[in-house]
Amino acid sequence: MEYAWLIPVAPLLAFVIVGFFGNKTKEGGGAIALGSVLIAFVLSILVSYEYFVTSGLFDSGEAYAPAPFQWLVFGDYALNFGIYIDSLTCVMLLFSSFISLMIFLYSIGYMKGEGARKRRYYAEIALFLGAMLGLILSSNYLEMFIFWELMGVCSYLLIGFWSYKHPEGDAASEAAASAAKKAFLVTRLGDVCMMAGLFVLLFAFKSLDFTTLFDPAEIANVDSGMIILGSLLLFGGVIGKSAQFPLQDWLPDAMAGPTTVSALIHAATMVKAGVYLVARSYPLFIQSADVMLVVAVIGGVTAFIAATMALNNMSLKRVLAYSTVSQLGLMIMALGAGGYVIAMTAGDYHASLGYTAGVFHMMNHAFFKALLFMCAGSVIHAVASEDLRQMGGLSRKMRITSATMFIGALSIAGFPFFSGFWSKDLVFESVMNPYASGLPAGDIFLFLFALALITAFMTAFYMFRMWYMTFKGKPKEAAEHCHGESPKTMTVPLIILSLFAVGSGFLLFVGLNDIITFSVIGGEFMVGGNGKTAEYLFWHVLENKWTYVSLALSLSGIFLAYLMYSRRIINPARFNMGGRSGLYRFLTARYYFPQLYDQISLKLGYGVAKGVDYVDKNLIDGTVDGISNAISGSSDTMRKMQTGNVRNYAAIVIIGTMVLVAVLFILVRFGGV
Amino acid sequence: MDFLSSLSIPSLPILPLLLILPILGAVFCFLIKNDRRHTRHMAILFSGVTLALSLLLLYDISSRGYVESESYAWINTAYLQMNLDIGVDGMSMLMVLLTALLVLMVAIFSDTESERSNSFFALIMATQAGLMGVYLAQDYFLFFIFWEVALIPMFFLIAGWGGPRRHYASMKFLIYTHVASMIMLIGIFMLVITAADGGVLNFSFEAVKAASAAGLFTTTFQVVVFGLLFFGFAVKMPLVPFHTWLPDAHVEAPTAGSVLLAGVMLKMGSYAIIRICLEVLPEGAIAWQTVMIVLALVAILYGAYACIAQKDLKKMVAFSSISHMGFVLLGIATLSGIGIQFAIFQMFAHGLITSVLFMVCGIVGHNTGTRDIPLLGGLAGKMPIFAGFMMFGFLASLGLPGLIGFVAEFGVLMAFFDYLMGIDVLWPIVFALASLMLTAGYFTWAMQRSIFGKETTKIDMSNVHDVNRREGVALGLLCALIALFGIMPWLIMDVLAEMPLVLLGVV
Amino acid sequence: MPRKVMTMIPIEMFLILSAALFCIGLVGVLVKTNGIVILMCIELMLNAANINFIAFAAYLGDALGQVFVLMAIAVAAAEVGIGIAILLNVYKAKKTTDVDDLTILRW
Repeated sequence: MEYAWLIPVAPLLAFVIVGFFGNKTKEGGGAIALGSVLIAFVLSILVSYEYFVTSGLFDSGEAYAPAPFQWLVFGDYALNFGIYIDSLTCVMLLFSSFISLMIFLYSIGYMKGEGARKRRYYAEIALFLGAMLGLILSSNYLEMFIFWELMGVCSYLLIGFWSYKHPEGDAASEAAASAAKKAFLVTRLGDVCMMAGLFVLLFAFKSLDFTTLFDPAEIANVDSGMIILGSLLLFGGVIGKSAQFPLQDWLPDAMAGPTTVSALIHAATMVKAGVYLVARSYPLFIQSADVMLVVAVIGGVTAFIAATMALNNMSLKRVLAYSTVSQLGLMIMALGAGGYVIAMTAGDYHASLGYTAGVFHMMNHAFFKALLFMCAGSVIHAVASEDLRQMGGLSRKMRITSATMFIGALSIAGFPFFSGFWSKDLVFESVMNPYASGLPAGDIFLFLFALALITAFMTAFYMFRMWYMTFKGKPKEAAEHCHGESPKTMTVPLIILSLFAVGSGFLLFVGLNDIITFSVIGGEFMVGGNGKTAEYLFWHVLENKWTYVSLALSLSGIFLAYLMYSRRIINPARFNMGGRSGLYRFLTARYYFPQLYDQISLKLGYGVAKGVDYVDKNLIDGTVDGISNAISGSSDTMRKMQTGNVRNYAAIVIIGTMVLVAVLFILVRFGGV
Repeated sequence: MDFLSSLSIPSLPILPLLLILPILGAVFCFLIKNDRRHTRHMAILFSGVTLALSLLLLYDISSRGYVESESYAWINTAYLQMNLDIGVDGMSMLMVLLTALLVLMVAIFSDTESERSNSFFALIMATQAGLMGVYLAQDYFLFFIFWEVALIPMFFLIAGWGGPRRHYASMKFLIYTHVASMIMLIGIFMLVITAADGGVLNFSFEAVKAASAAGLFTTTFQVVVFGLLFFGFAVKMPLVPFHTWLPDAHVEAPTAGSVLLAGVMLKMGSYAIIRICLEVLPEGAIAWQTVMIVLALVAILYGAYACIAQKDLKKMVAFSSISHMGFVLLGIATLSGIGIQFAIFQMFAHGLITSVLFMVCGIVGHNTGTRDIPLLGGLAGKMPIFAGFMMFGFLASLGLPGLIGFVAEFGVLMAFFDYLMGIDVLWPIVFALASLMLTAGYFTWAMQRSIFGKETTKIDMSNVHDVNRREGVALGLLCALIALFGIMPWLIMDVLAEMPLVLLGVV
Repeated sequence: MPRKVMTMIPIEMFLILSAALFCIGLVGVLVKTNGIVILMCIELMLNAANINFIAFAAYLGDALGQVFVLMAIAVAAAEVGIGIAILLNVYKAKKTTDVDDLTILRW
């Protein structure tokens, strides 16, 4: 574990090498990037093995946190750099690096036609992954924040990858540039909140090290108001990064980048960082039940509204984007609900399912979402369009893609025994928990549970709507051009990932349940790992009546999609009055969130800026110029006295002398001088 | 290490050499035949040696608690003491380094001013002499002389090699800052005369500091003199509403002038506030604290908002300087050790970053013929390396973690937060944080319009070429330093840690 | 040698003469536009002052006044020399000695 710091360093090094020398190698440095992620993955396995098995730290519930390196010391405050490894770290490391490995492999095929720009692409995704791995391994919030922001920049660069010379023309490149800016600014809003949170925590704890912040003795010494404020501000960062309500709107636009980038953002990095931050900050967040309630409600609302927006979207990638937002909402909601229970029951950490459910769902989601995006990429690669209305009937031409995407869709819809099934049911159960235990805010959680059930139904519906529109029915315009299945480098990762999309849920029964834990130094604080046997959990899920309710809803969603988009028995136009119904337009317009953002930035940003500019040019600079004009103007008037006429001067001299003499005379005569 | 210490001969008079070399450089550059390459090489040689000497000085004093001073008799009479007292501590060491570095970068970068290049480089070296003098002076009279000396060559740089409105801009620059200097001079006289208390008029920093420590300055006196001096320095920084000379001067100045002006000259103001206002007038500082904080917040937000409205890329960068110098004042205004340390850090950071930005603006203006953002677009296609530098500079300026600007901003804001917690009023930090959003906003928006999107058709792009080698070297070095200090901020903090600040004990 | 006692001309007569001379010169300077004439009028004014000097010198029996007059005459000669030289050059350049036309040395 001493060499764990090499995990992020490998891709970061690859970034430097590819960035400077990429074009000297074949494939624009793709092999180097791929090699670095392979190193990171292998190291992650080694580190995890050491943590879980040989070191004995896991058994005693302790984290591995060697003395950090002092980065910046000022006043009473010390900011450090170090690594922090517990089981959460290991789980995150493993799936992030593994999925990135798949995505990098897939990129080799996907980006083949990009020419010299491949160098930039490989350098940037290597940096992206390096930042994510660094964030996972961080031993304090500042370090985390640094990597957090680095990811923001990487996403900016990658979303804007085609911001000039877009393959689809100039309009698309303008859109890409705009989307990149939006992603950066919206997440930046969250980042600024998070930064404020760092100030609060740093002020309260005089340090941002996890080992200090998660120490119950330290927490007891700090004003609880500061912790609540700090937690809420940190959660502000999560809202931005993980695209939660009300900052969710950047993620769909971020589809302007290459599809592999979307896969990377949605499955392995970026948005997962937000969920990870909530999971990582559990010891602070559970200090207040209200904070956890806020977390859960934000998650639930996000899950619901994002799912509704996906219902009628016509872009293959955007449907997936909304589904990511929605699924992230579920994860956050589960974490919030679990934390709420812990906060209210004062410390029965093992009793809470929410933590396990949230992290478990994050992992499963990573697998099937990476799969879905890469399938979508394969389709887009083949038909050169994202519009669902122009596809159809592709399953005959692209067998592997259609089959693997079907698996992914089943998994996200929660079809029995697929990975999504297990984690989603854990999520639902954890949300139900506060109500079932009769806690004060139980009614709110019951409402959230209802939202979650509806979300499950909608998820199943829109995923299969997408699948049927793409792969079934009559081939439309774009589908005609399809030139068959994608190359091996693209399909092999699909097949591997589909295995995980089916099977990763079963990991719960081979010990993952106990592995998803949160540990700190000393082992006094531990969340998750509820110690139930695999058998118990298996039957528990199957015996729970809500499992069947949600299952029925999912299946009916799939069936409805089948009827509407495959059999065409129900005409979709009946629901939306041919696209004219208010609700339909409301959803298409994404609840008018883009307009809201635009208005806010227009009024608060550009409007005020215009005013400031006016004040600057006219009032302030006007005063300055006014003063100088007044001076030069008055001197203009004064110098008119200089006629240049000698006789005038002489007359003035004489008159002056005479006046002087007269004055002197008067003074002498009457003044007695 | 032993080798190095044997190399740095203790008797080598580095401090005076730092002053003499730029003056010699100016003379040589001016006398040399009017040949672009020769004068440029001469300037590079002299500024390179100056930089090497200042690095040697840094190494030399690092073992001695970062203080070093020397004194040479000049006007040394029974009634009047104005001597050549020069010295450095942590703060001035950083500024000296920054000056030496930026002048070298400017000398490497500048090649487009082919007309009268001997005068051009001579003026740059003369500016350096003035700046070095300001940061080295330990005597009020000397300080004031160099303060003015730095001003004059800059005036000629703008007036001689500037844009179309250079006469207006250079006059405005000269008169505005000169008026401020006069008011500052009144303040200095009041300080020295009061400190003399009827005895010898001694202009050295040391004497005035001793008088301050002895309690010769009453509170009312401190408040009044602080106001006078602060006005003089505020114009230089510049603070809203005394800033309007800056955008004009920057827009018209040649790139080299802009880099020196924004990179080092603005820092004279904030340097002097710390060095003079805070060290000898602590009670005045406390009385003015709220005003300073309000002015800082206004500058931060006002500058950021003004940036959004700008169409000229260079004017935008100029306004961003106002915003970032606001952070410097914010750090100073907390009157705490952390705040002042990071204010100096921010001065250094801004010096490096803004130089990159102005060089980028210079390249755009020179290569495409316009800096008007609406006319640009899609430059990344034709100028990929340039786009990379521009993006790097913008990201550094908006405070991307891992680069130097972040450390400075984080520290200043932390100090401000600390201060706010002390007085139990939290809401003002919202303004400071909002500016971070605005900064990100105008930089990304400018990038979107200038380097991304489709290639512009409004200007002739056929002859546009990418960054050339000398520009690349200067920009690359600066960017490397920005990243280096962002990753290893302790390199700077170590220099600052030992800074003897009287004030730190007072507040 | 028997000295014949003469009645002194009263000093007021000299003062009136000199004042009249000064006023004539002054009016000449103010009224005339020809440079040469103005120079001559200035000479008149100078001479008025000289007459005063001499009158008082005789009246007070002090030679210092006469010394001053000699000094003033020398200065006046130099002044006229320079003045005429300037006027000649002006005339060469502008073909006029009219001072009202020579107003370019203003703002």
